[in-house]
Amino acid sequence: MNEATRGTGYGQQGPGRAEVSAGAAVSLSGLRKHYGEVRAVDGVDLVIAPGEVVALLGPNGAGKSTTVDMLLGLSNPDSGEARIFGQTPRDAVAAGAVGAMLQEGSLLDDATVGETVAMIASLHRKPMPVAEALRRANVEDLSGRMCTKLSGGQKQRVRFAVALVCDPHLLVLDEPTSAMDVGTRREFWQSMKEFTEAGKTVLFATHYLDEAEEFADRVVLMRSGRIVADGSVAEVRSVVSGRTLTAQVSGATQSAMRTLPGVRGADVRGERVALDCADSDATIRALITTYPQAYDIEIKALGLEEAFLALTGDNEGGTR
Amino acid sequence: MRTAYLALEAKRALRNPRFLMFTVVFPVVIFVIDVAAFGKGAVPDSNGVPYTSLLMVSLAAFGGFMAAMNTGARTAVERASGWQRQLRLTPLKPTGYLVAKGAVGTLVALPPIVLVSLVGVLVEGVHLSGGAWAQVVLGAWVATIPFAVLGLLVGQLATAETMQVFTSGLMIVLGFLGGILIPVQVFPSWLSHISMVLPSYWLSQIGQGALFGNDNLGKAILWLAAWTVVFAFLVVRRYQRDSARV
Repeated sequence: MNEATRGTGYGQQGPGRAEVSAGAAVSLSGLRKHYGEVRAVDGVDLVIAPGEVVALLGPNGAGKSTTVDMLLGLSNPDSGEARIFGQTPRDAVAAGAVGAMLQEGSLLDDATVGETVAMIASLHRKPMPVAEALRRANVEDLSGRMCTKLSGGQKQRVRFAVALVCDPHLLVLDEPTSAMDVGTRREFWQSMKEFTEAGKTVLFATHYLDEAEEFADRVVLMRSGRIVADGSVAEVRSVVSGRTLTAQVSGATQSAMRTLPGVRGADVRGERVALDCADSDATIRALITTYPQAYDIEIKALGLEEAFLALTGDNEGGTR
Repeated sequence: MRTAYLALEAKRALRNPRFLMFTVVFPVVIFVIDVAAFGKGAVPDSNGVPYTSLLMVSLAAFGGFMAAMNTGARTAVERASGWQRQLRLTPLKPTGYLVAKGAVGTLVALPPIVLVSLVGVLVEGVHLSGGAWAQVVLGAWVATIPFAVLGLLVGQLATAETMQVFTSGLMIVLGFLGGILIPVQVFPSWLSHISMVLPSYWLSQIGQGALFGNDNLGKAILWLAAWTVVFAFLVVRRYQRDSARV
């Protein structure tokens, strides 16, 4: 299940799904949702084991939010089904097994932070104490403040407290850090660590690749309503073969660099050369021979960002 | 656990400054001004019921139905902001949400009714029997239930921006045509026939029954119950459709 799969996702369907998903925290099978001509979600199969921290990546319109909505039971799939700990989304929500931070979810404009969290807590059967949720989300000091008087980052943290207060086993976060500055994002993920270290499951949609790289055990890449890659960060990264070679080369020209063996593309700015290499071993040998004075040479594996661009970049599917 | 939820919802509704202004202060002020302007003498053919008493029950009813309706209509804001989606991620069922909001709407209808009545007793010297007071305050309060449900319907149909237009329009239709802000007796007969279909007309009959006799009481209760059922049916249908579409 964890090997990186590249392509249309057809190969993931089959009769074995039900057994695979037994005991899973999240199990989506054959999930489809069309809005008229637009195939927002076009056959998604995904199984997440308890305790996994999974990042859901993809460009805008890839179907991330639609998938999240169906997982939470906020919208019904045209076909396929979603299960959370073996239950229907509605039952899992009623049991308080899942907490969520929605992308456009806002807070009440006429209640304090404490009241807002208390209101959600009062509706759940086995909530954690409100003060505990506020502490974990790092907003204790804002408890008495009206929700309208919060900064964007504070609002997100309060919404995190709202998601936490039912004491869920699974957290679903749709772009949780979109309104946060760098410092607040760091703090947010710090609070998240406390949650995941207790063995809980997290599925988060994000467009910050560094967050996925740093905090996720596993990365799921969506494009045009389908999963195009699924695996650990290292596995997904390896989907794009090749490495980047950078060096300082005096007298380098674009055309000369391109003719080096193993080079797919070259970017030359003054002496600074960045080469996209299919075979970096061949390239470095040739480079040293031809330009013995080359220095500051660095060879790096392509990052998640390059993998992301390679897997989601071509538009043959038409994402809307 | 649900009582804690209801208490917080009621607190929110009562705290809203616009609520206090338009539904508590406004009817009291209009009452006092109206008494000063038209409060002399008795209502014709009424065995000497003072105009002041009629104005009191009318403005109590007006304040009550506006408070009930506005509370429900404000759910448009919660719908627009995504708060309703957040609530769908709790065990609260759609019907539970609607019942809670309807209950809070009815609850906050009580302060304006009580306040106008208190001003009637303490400032304007209205005298009524104990039974009549019960009917003017408690009877009129219970009669605001259909308006709380109507407010919910507005909240489901309107957006956060158009909500104000809806409630103002309904205030004019129900307040004036329903004979709360001006007596039905001044209408031409075709118009008074229209007004006798409106729930606000029958709301006004509850309070007025305490002054002029309860010939219409059974009819009023039936009309108000019927409107409650119609509004509730429309709200539930609309809410289900909205849930399915999200």
